[in-house]
Amino acid sequence: MSTTASAPRAEVRSRRTRTAAGEAHRLLPRPLLVIITVALLAMILIPTSYIVLASLNTDIGVAEGQFWPSTFSVDSYTKIWTTANLATGLLNSMVVCALVAVASAVLGTVTAYVLVRYTFFGRLTILRGLVGLQSIPGTLMLLPVFVLYSSAGNYLGVAVVGTRWGLFVAYLTFALPFSTWVMVTYLRGLPRELEEAGRVDGASTLKILFRIIVPLSGPAIVVSGIFAFLLGWNDVLFASVLTRPETQTAAVALSIFGATQEGGALPVYSQVMAAALVTAAPVVLLYMIFQRYLVGGLTAGGVK
Amino acid sequence: MTDDSTTTRSRHGSAATAAAGPGPAAPAEPGHRQPRRRGVTQQQRPLWLLAPGGLLMIVIVIIPLLLAIYISMIDLDQYTLRRWLDAPFIGLQNFTEAFQSGLPKSIWISVSFAVLSTIATVPFGVAAAVATQNRYRGRAAVRAAFLIPYVLPSFVVATVWRTMLQPDGIVNTLLAKIGIDGALWLSGPTSYWTLILVEIWAAWPFIYLMALAGLQSVDGEVHEASAIDGANWWPKLVHVVLPYLRGPVLLACLLATLNHINNFTLPFVLFGAPAPDDVNVMPMIVYVTSFQSLRFGLSAAMAIVSLLLVAIPLFAYLRVLRLDVHEEGGRK
Repeated sequence: MSTTASAPRAEVRSRRTRTAAGEAHRLLPRPLLVIITVALLAMILIPTSYIVLASLNTDIGVAEGQFWPSTFSVDSYTKIWTTANLATGLLNSMVVCALVAVASAVLGTVTAYVLVRYTFFGRLTILRGLVGLQSIPGTLMLLPVFVLYSSAGNYLGVAVVGTRWGLFVAYLTFALPFSTWVMVTYLRGLPRELEEAGRVDGASTLKILFRIIVPLSGPAIVVSGIFAFLLGWNDVLFASVLTRPETQTAAVALSIFGATQEGGALPVYSQVMAAALVTAAPVVLLYMIFQRYLVGGLTAGGVK
Repeated sequence: MTDDSTTTRSRHGSAATAAAGPGPAAPAEPGHRQPRRRGVTQQQRPLWLLAPGGLLMIVIVIIPLLLAIYISMIDLDQYTLRRWLDAPFIGLQNFTEAFQSGLPKSIWISVSFAVLSTIATVPFGVAAAVATQNRYRGRAAVRAAFLIPYVLPSFVVATVWRTMLQPDGIVNTLLAKIGIDGALWLSGPTSYWTLILVEIWAAWPFIYLMALAGLQSVDGEVHEASAIDGANWWPKLVHVVLPYLRGPVLLACLLATLNHINNFTLPFVLFGAPAPDDVNVMPMIVYVTSFQSLRFGLSAAMAIVSLLLVAIPLFAYLRVLRLDVHEEGGRK
């Protein structure tokens, strides 16, 4: 986060030196620059534009192998709501991930504040743990969670597998450490003097936290929440095991929809592409709105 | 949890202690600031604030992890699943069985896949960062485009590539048009290379982002100095600019390798479960062993082995990572 904060300043400085130094800053000769840029753009844009074009094609057109549709139509975007379990999936993903985002942003902020501002026994271990937990194989986490959930019916008399709450808790296992870590990287860049004024006035820790820290960390809190949201939205592993058709997430709905098309009489690939774009849309939208914060947070947190 | 041994000081701290900070040597004169451990304080620690997040993490993270270790040592299958407390304890038998089954091959596939993907993404990422370093018209659009594969969720990337790589899909159709025979991308030995290619496509922007952050730290004067020396672009790039990128890119490689090893979504959605033998990476074999063969104990043992595998790059990462606030907190 702190890198994003200083980025505009660096930009201004480099612009000034650039006018002075002129061509000296050029890293690559122009032809090479063009070749590299065009090659990389082609690598990205040819597949992505095919996805968009195929989604605007007809299923027959895609099956015939057209790259450029002979007839454009938005039929695929209307059909997917009946052919795939997409609406339920999107709704479930929205509900579960929004809850995960709020819970981990709030708890992460409070926890991170204490971790950054106060020393205590085990503090470094916890910080290490926060980073380490992000790299624990998901399968290792899923197994005990699944065993606990499925035995909950026997030992406690409640069914957890297949519920949204179960999925919510499962996502928190990754989202909470991650949000906390994002907040740690942000809060430690925040000057202490800001709180000291409040402390001099005799404000309590809670007051300082909610009147001074939280208003100052608005963007970072939002980012930590968004990352938590994305962790849930992008997950397939937990959702494929812990959900029923009614509680399926968008990711699972899309994967199943894509996989079941193969080997059929007429695979509806155009609809698969449309469904893929629809499930990706919320993520793309979030990135477009919060681009500079999210990209800064990515390099700070280091995990997708 | 709340260890309030130092709250013997005044509850809110007097004005003097608050301004002076924890260090006993720091006089409270503005302008004469002593170097001190800014950011961390010993006084009146509200450790109870850790309780909600901390307790929750213990319940949902620490307990499951310990349970995973226990599960790896019991014989747990679909019959004993719901009564796992009564499942027979068999010690390390799951581990020996794991190593006699497909696990060693999966380790090899996972490691080679992760390392190859990481190595292959570096040139793309660095080239993209260097190419977008100098301002030109439309650079913002190019930079945004470079992020597309990264922003798209993994399951979307996997689904669309799975569709495009079908035997009668667009990739083979286009290849046929330029006279190349297509392949069965999603089965047999080719699937391994398909997995790597799609992973490269999806993962190189991460290296690009980290390299971009590294390029920001290149001092403007460095360019001027090498211009005065009359350095050509290639020696300048290799000897002057790229050394700045070594640290960030190595860090990126470490993280990327971790992410590749743990990547479940891509092979799972691309090939389905059970995956072809050649792409039976660690997360896939654990998943199939538990949720298709229903050998939960055995798969927990495999999962723990995969944790040990991840631990190597993870410890390297934790070593280079700045955990504490001292360096950053003191920066203005």
